[in-house]
Amino acid sequence: MQDTDRSLRKIVVVGGGTAGWMAAAALSQLVGGRFGAIEVVESDEIGTVGVGEATIPPLHLFHALLGIDENAFVRATQGAFKLGIEFRDWGRKGGRYFHPFGAYGAPMGLSPFHQTWLRARAEGVADDLDAYNLAASAAALNRFVRPPAGQAPPVFSTFGYAFHFDASLYAKFLRRFAEARGARRTEGKIVDVALRDEDGFVEAVTLEDGRRVEGDFFIDCSGFRGLLIEQALKTGYEDWSRWLPCDRALAVPSANAGPLTPYTRSTAEAAGWRWRIPLQHRTGNGHVYCSAHISDDEAASALLAGLDGEALADPRPLRFTPGRRRKAWNRNVLALGLASGFIEPLESTSIHLIQTAITRLFSYFPDRDFDPATVDEYNRLSAQEFEEARDFVILHYAVGERDDTELWRYCQAMSLPDSLRRKIDLYRGHGRIHVLPNELFKEHSWLAVLEGQGARPERLDPLASLIDGAALRGQLGAIQAAVRQTAQALPSHEAFIASHCRAEA
Amino acid sequence: MLDQPIRKVVVVGGGTAGWMTAAAFSRLLVSPAVQVEVVESEAIGTVGVGEATIPTIRNFNEKLGLDEVEFIRQTQASFKLGIDFRDWGRVGHRYFHGFGDFGADHEQVQAHQLWRRLRALGDDSSLEDWSLPTAAAALNRFIPPSPDPRSPLHDYSYAYHFDAGLYAAFLRRYAEARGVVRTEGRIVDVALRGADGFVEAVVLDDGRRVEGDLFIDCSGFRALLIEGTLKAGFEDWSRWLPCDRALAVPCKLGGDGLTPYTRSTAREAGWQWRIPLQHRIGNGYVYSSAFVDDQRAADTLMSNLDGDALDDPRPLRFLAGRRKKFWDRNVVAVGLSGGFLEPLESTSISLIQNGVARLLEFFPDRRCDPLLADEFNRVSAQEYERIRDFIILHYCINQRDEPMWRQVREVELPDSLQAKIALYKARGHVAIHEGDGFARPSWISIYNGLGVVPETYDPLADRIPEAELRRLMDQRRAVIRHAAQSIPTQAAFIAQHCAAEPIG
Repeated sequence: MQDTDRSLRKIVVVGGGTAGWMAAAALSQLVGGRFGAIEVVESDEIGTVGVGEATIPPLHLFHALLGIDENAFVRATQGAFKLGIEFRDWGRKGGRYFHPFGAYGAPMGLSPFHQTWLRARAEGVADDLDAYNLAASAAALNRFVRPPAGQAPPVFSTFGYAFHFDASLYAKFLRRFAEARGARRTEGKIVDVALRDEDGFVEAVTLEDGRRVEGDFFIDCSGFRGLLIEQALKTGYEDWSRWLPCDRALAVPSANAGPLTPYTRSTAEAAGWRWRIPLQHRTGNGHVYCSAHISDDEAASALLAGLDGEALADPRPLRFTPGRRRKAWNRNVLALGLASGFIEPLESTSIHLIQTAITRLFSYFPDRDFDPATVDEYNRLSAQEFEEARDFVILHYAVGERDDTELWRYCQAMSLPDSLRRKIDLYRGHGRIHVLPNELFKEHSWLAVLEGQGARPERLDPLASLIDGAALRGQLGAIQAAVRQTAQALPSHEAFIASHCRAEA
Repeated sequence: MLDQPIRKVVVVGGGTAGWMTAAAFSRLLVSPAVQVEVVESEAIGTVGVGEATIPTIRNFNEKLGLDEVEFIRQTQASFKLGIDFRDWGRVGHRYFHGFGDFGADHEQVQAHQLWRRLRALGDDSSLEDWSLPTAAAALNRFIPPSPDPRSPLHDYSYAYHFDAGLYAAFLRRYAEARGVVRTEGRIVDVALRGADGFVEAVVLDDGRRVEGDLFIDCSGFRALLIEGTLKAGFEDWSRWLPCDRALAVPCKLGGDGLTPYTRSTAREAGWQWRIPLQHRIGNGYVYSSAFVDDQRAADTLMSNLDGDALDDPRPLRFLAGRRKKFWDRNVVAVGLSGGFLEPLESTSISLIQNGVARLLEFFPDRRCDPLLADEFNRVSAQEYERIRDFIILHYCINQRDEPMWRQVREVELPDSLQAKIALYKARGHVAIHEGDGFARPSWISIYNGLGVVPETYDPLADRIPEAELRRLMDQRRAVIRHAAQSIPTQAAFIAQHCAAEPIG
């Protein structure tokens, strides 16, 4: 015990949905019982957003922390595997590129792989980038395998994967997990938030039927509304729509058609882009668009016209403003998920940002004093992470030759955040990719999207030119052969699921 | 496309920076298409301070493919597990900054938070009890870390003390064997190209011109090209780091002998280093001339040696700070020409090493696009500032009476450091910012060494039952004590593996 016990006695999670149940699951597993009850207040009347059914590889860390078995999770959520994202019509109409999970090739001497590849391309002896990446090559063949444990061949060292899943099934899965570990769920709609007079901390939320739910610490998972963080605490929001003009989305499920692709597809449209996320039982689709340039009806038509199976519901509308809450953590309220900020799901960062926020919460776990320096540090790291994700998403809009519609012309002309401008200039000038060790998107991600969008370095790395030409061709050829042979030997995505983690129909 | 590759790199100045640069280039750059030439003058001495290093030096040596035993023998090197700080914070106090952590996380709680909770439970053990390098250093023992992750001797690192002059000579042989050309001569003039003000050539005292496409300024404090010619400008940090002179003197081995650590002893107006090598001890007094005169400084140094002085004290003058641009046009400053931070945390050589690595990352062609230089400068400036903050930390928390110590205690700190200290004081969190080279355990070592005990601790630590916590911490401490006692003394280890030939 500390000198006087200032431990939390009650944690209230406001809102179920993906963020709410991820938080409740982690709290129940890691601090369950120790800091009083964990109570989730949610209302069946309020729908969850449930967009963001695609994820990125670090999700397995979250599952490892909770001790969740991967096959059980995939079965419970109608999940499928994801090796990356296929981008169509981005950069230019008719163009296609793949952002894979996992690095390309291998460095030579001082030169990172991409510099050797850029030189080989200039000399006309390089194949497409995808040929040097196992995830991209396997995805193109609709094949998948979990990297073998232990003595995996070196080509697997650059192979990562994530998941597609049904976010509402995921929330249910985590709800069972959390409730089994003592988290309590309270059904009810919140109609009022009571603040403490002396310091403006949240004291309790009041439900429609008059019940008060008190707590020491509130986790705001109420989605875009930011019921506590914004409506009660007026924290403020940093608006990023000058860089990310899309402000609406329509989501619709469709029947599966064709083989189960192990990747997300993103297709650029006149005023936004469409997603396609195949699950075991259906395909999730959506259209993210800019309401200034297209009507909701036109957006719906474009969405429905692009489905490759029959629609299973009416399109569901969403509205948002890209940006982040000025403080993700304010007083005794921590905003998680959409309550903390919104970045369109182009690179599947939503669930990841929830996950890292939860991990960070455990690094800076509060007591009832809510030390301001600790909260500030949490907020500094959170802002940095949101900005890194933001820059990477803006990159897709900022580079490219599309100028066929207002949206794309706007994007060509917009001024960029300095941090992103520098990265683009360094690549365009010299093929340099400078990424800090802790950044979420690594060199290979920047390479995939910069090249895919059509950025081409003006000059080559002088050091890559020092490599012996025959040795360079030999190494690139060997990488390509190893990738091709390995990819061709993998089972199909469907066969892998059938033998490991088939969900009930 | 690739129409203007660099054909010739000129390294201006030998010394540690010049030969480290030349050695790296000889390994990674020299080819029929790229020449590297070092211009140095035997008439100009090198500074050769900074004989202590941090563990990253081993990456540099590995990149060059140096044989460790050969390197140690050639440079009279010894091993370093950290730094012993004496009289810092307050007179009579000591603490150790070891190259290692304080144990693994337990139940998502960091080891120093576990310790802080123990303290709240009334146990006043020192955090240093849980540091293996600290325990080994206290016994004068050394062995390289075990590659086995289960071994208690796995989780620490080490660096070296070496004779910087011998290291430069060693790297010179290495570089020359790989095609680097050395030119003896004193530079008397620098010729600029009319069109763009790039350096075209340096002119030697005998009239020879050495032309190049890219010039690496390793001329030390003089900053011959970057400042003398290009007037890059200097950002002065002396308000936080007032020491501006040093006296260096070698002495015979004595006192505690061949300690596997550097010792830094705070003095009235600065601090004294003690760096044991195989054949002698390097000593120096870094001081502020505003608070002590040279004679008194020399007397202080000479009366605090562990053995007979082997030479007269050699004076050095400097100013803490960094060049406003490390890279301007076709000149890149590496080493002291780029900036100076006192050697309190042995960062000089790592700054050289990172400068060279960064230059290779952003290696230009003959046009030296400012885009590359700007990014190089941005990242370099950040690196210097982060180290600056770490060094200021050692000074700014103290209870000493002397005027210099009062001044450094009262000066307004850089915001970046102020925020870090506040965060640690509150609950023991260590903020790591972009460009920070020193990791969490290093910051904790200094905070803790200076007596900063966080006001409270990570509440997650309270989940662990008290008896379990005590058992865990007792067991970890016992393992460290036992492991430290199981390894040989540094003297025995060196005698067996890498003893150098005695030097006259």
